[in-house]
Amino acid sequence: MKSMEARLARMALKGDQHAFAEIVGLYQDKLYYMSYRMLYNRQEAEDVVQETFLRVYKNLDRYDDTMKFSTWIYRIATNLCIDRLRKRKPSFSLDAETGDHDGIDGYSMIPSDDRTPESELMLSDTQRIIHNAIETLPAKYKSVMVLRYLQDMSLQEIGDVLELPVTTVKTRVHRGREFLRKKLEHKL
Amino acid sequence: MAAMNCNVAIVSMHDYLDGELIREDVASLKAHLIACPECRARFDQLERTEALIHNALDMRSGVVETSESAVRTQRILSGLPVRRRKTMGWTRWLRNHPAITVAAVFAIVMFSSFIAMWEQDDQLTVRGNDLTQLVIDGDTVTVPQGVHVKGDLTVENGKANVLGDVEGNVTVIEGSLYQASTAHISGQVKTIDQALDWFWYKVTHSFSSLAY
Ligand SMILES: [Zn+2]
Repeated sequence: MKSMEARLARMALKGDQHAFAEIVGLYQDKLYYMSYRMLYNRQEAEDVVQETFLRVYKNLDRYDDTMKFSTWIYRIATNLCIDRLRKRKPSFSLDAETGDHDGIDGYSMIPSDDRTPESELMLSDTQRIIHNAIETLPAKYKSVMVLRYLQDMSLQEIGDVLELPVTTVKTRVHRGREFLRKKLEHKL
Repeated sequence: MAAMNCNVAIVSMHDYLDGELIREDVASLKAHLIACPECRARFDQLERTEALIHNALDMRSGVVETSESAVRTQRILSGLPVRRRKTMGWTRWLRNHPAITVAAVFAIVMFSSFIAMWEQDDQLTVRGNDLTQLVIDGDTVTVPQGVHVKGDLTVENGKANVLGDVEGNVTVIEGSLYQASTAHISGQVKTIDQALDWFWYKVTHSFSSLAY
């Protein structure tokens, strides 16, 4: 049995505009949150969402429905985010570190817009710390963490989206979690 | 208990949080945590961190408003290219029907050459079997009163002014027809002023009629 998304994709391919609008409705917010958490910039997140749907639309005939539709659409969106992150100034690497995070301050290395969703909410210190920490993560950790915690994906699904072995995904989740634990240490 | 060292325990903690630690290993981890206060503190921190990340990144706690969402949907949909299938369908159909395509192209070419001819042709032309009694003044062709024209009369690009009798059809192409009360036309009266009519006229008539 085909998923609802796969059926919608096929209808959209046949020219059904409403079917494509359904797909947009199903994914646009999720993709926006994900892109925002990757890029921490509203405009760039909007652009990524727009570009993702444009690519999906243009490539509907290439969608292989043995793959989950969500895997396909998240793959397109995460690749666009990662491309944008790579074009920015390089941030530090978690690979090179030897257990001690003190002295690493990536906070100011990545620019962010001042009008974040958080600024509209009363955020606790801990949440701010988490967001700041996620913002400073290198792209390859950030994508894994965002898919894991924001989209609630299993390690296997994350591996499918990012085209990585599950063991690599697992390692990145562990390192990302440790990194955040250290950032939050005095708050825990 | 002593079998598990702290490094192994830390990996197990993460696997546990990932929901991927098998039952026997959960038992070993628990045993280590009971025995090792340092790892117990670490595990406690990791569990809290896990909960805080979930909390901070939970999409449901986001602040995207419905109106914002609707605006985005609109922008996304209007940003899409015009559905290419419509034109693709047409060209594909043509590709699948080459004979019809050739015929259609031929018809279009023929038709446009006729239109071109029609547009070029703005000279007064009079055709008929009996033209000797007609009076031609400028672009006006007159059948004088009391005159009896035998056969059809065709006037192209001019005015036909019929005062007398015509024993046949009167056809005016791209022009006007005036019939006086004294006129008598035994056949059909036809005014043609559109390219398409003219096309059919040309096609259905032989070109043998006399040009004046
Ligand atoms: Zn220990």
